[in-house]
Amino acid sequence: MIETRELRREFGGIRALAGVTLTVAEGERRAIIGPNGAGKTTLFNVLTGEIEPTGGQVRLAGEDVTGRRPHELARRGVARMYQRNELFDPLPARDNVAIAVAAAAGPYRPFRAPPPSELVAADDLLERVGLGGRGAVPARALSHGERRQLELAVALAQRPRVLLLDEPTAGMSPAETARITELIASLDRSLTLVIVEHDMDVVFRLAERITVLHEGRVIAEGTPPEVRGDTLVNEVYLGKVVA
Amino acid sequence: MKTRLAIPLAAVLAAALLVTFPLWSSPWETSRYATTILQSMLVVAILALSLDLLVGSAGMPSLGHAAYFGAGAYAAAIAGQRLGNDDLVLGLGAAILVSALLALAIGAVAVRASGIFFLMLTLAFAQMVFAIAFQAADITGGSNGFSGVRRPTFAGLDFNDATALFHLVALVFLLVLLLIWRIRSSAYGRALVGLRENERRMRALGYDTTRLRLSAFVVAGAIAGIGGALQAYSIRFVSPNDVGVARSVEAFVSVLIGGVGTLLGPVIGAVVVVFIERVMDSYIAFADTVLGLVFIVFVLTARQGIVGLVRVAYARVRA
Repeated sequence: MIETRELRREFGGIRALAGVTLTVAEGERRAIIGPNGAGKTTLFNVLTGEIEPTGGQVRLAGEDVTGRRPHELARRGVARMYQRNELFDPLPARDNVAIAVAAAAGPYRPFRAPPPSELVAADDLLERVGLGGRGAVPARALSHGERRQLELAVALAQRPRVLLLDEPTAGMSPAETARITELIASLDRSLTLVIVEHDMDVVFRLAERITVLHEGRVIAEGTPPEVRGDTLVNEVYLGKVVA
Repeated sequence: MKTRLAIPLAAVLAAALLVTFPLWSSPWETSRYATTILQSMLVVAILALSLDLLVGSAGMPSLGHAAYFGAGAYAAAIAGQRLGNDDLVLGLGAAILVSALLALAIGAVAVRASGIFFLMLTLAFAQMVFAIAFQAADITGGSNGFSGVRRPTFAGLDFNDATALFHLVALVFLLVLLLIWRIRSSAYGRALVGLRENERRMRALGYDTTRLRLSAFVVAGAIAGIGGALQAYSIRFVSPNDVGVARSVEAFVSVLIGGVGTLLGPVIGAVVVVFIERVMDSYIAFADTVLGLVFIVFVLTARQGIVGLVRVAYARVRA
């Protein structure tokens, strides 16, 4: 569904991505782990078109989409849950989701009010992520956990084919973490998920395969048991966390 | 149910009172002074309404909005003179077309920047338009201005009659207000707010934000051009000042004093600004200083403008 070949990105001599090749199949749930600075967020920024790669290729459903702009990739089915929420802060939660729902029909409808179906769809999504009844509350007035839920609802409202989740549980309490993890686990199986996450319990709960990134390179890839048993991975990443 | 009917009724009543102002004001107002002032308030209000679509809705602070106003004024004036045709549709059509095209050309570059850089670019481009208006004397009249603008006619109506012209300005103002109101509550208006609040997210959702910003810039420019045409018809004169920075600032100050991002704020702001500039100016020596002070007070203490103050007061009364 989404693949990269020898993807490279340098920032003024610093190699954030030093040739990343990975293939995520349709409907697969892939986690990408690695220490801070491993290139995970840069990889996401390249996959969403927010940063152009210095070299290499990105393919989406077989099509070369390298260098495509963010809105073009979004229209091709790539959605992202940002690590730091990117919401419309003063707007009610419902409008945050409705703007995402409305993206499919486009913005050039200047005379008529948005159709009620968009608001219904927005309310359904809020219900699904556990924000039922909170639709009228401005995004900025929600708790951190609720804002993460809203961030997820906004991404889902795009009806994506590929959903990139950048630390979905960051800053959440254990109860909130458990809830959003189950929510993600319950998503449609045809949706391709790529998850960057530091919480290994969440990773092992959600991921079918794990890619380990270190200094901009893939140093290991496999099923959760395989990765857990990999000595190099334990040395550079898991070891530090577990020990 | 009571309020659902009350607001539209009040709006219709206010609109009717506005359009008929010269008729019911004539007993106490023989010199037509108030009508003239009100007419220029409406013209500035159109300019301010169009600017607030950028500043308030889309978060695009243009400091060169008079360029499109002036382009509309010149276009209406020149079209009437060169084509020897006073048809209103032709004059307004020329104003809309020229200001929209100018906004398209400038916007194509300017909307790629945002915030302070966008502001500086719009200002710089407007200064270029000002210089062109100044230099191209054989078309625009240069520093002498373009005098003797021909007033339009439409379907047997002759807008050389001052009362008829006021009706026209008031009616066009109401139509612009209605248009802005519809845009603000449409999917398009909501997308502009999305642009203002989080452009990165809008891109990630699949909105082509560059195109969206450009579209807003062109729509706002075209509406400003309508205001410019009405200004040219009103005072029968266009000068480079109509594209100058002072007029851009006048519109910006109107928006800020009245209330950024509100429907009626720009209108109220235009009324206050024109009142200080035109009416108070006849009675006191430092009207411009007063305007400056009012502006400073609002920027420091009431960022939401007069509409914001009224909302706060209303909430207190209800609580």
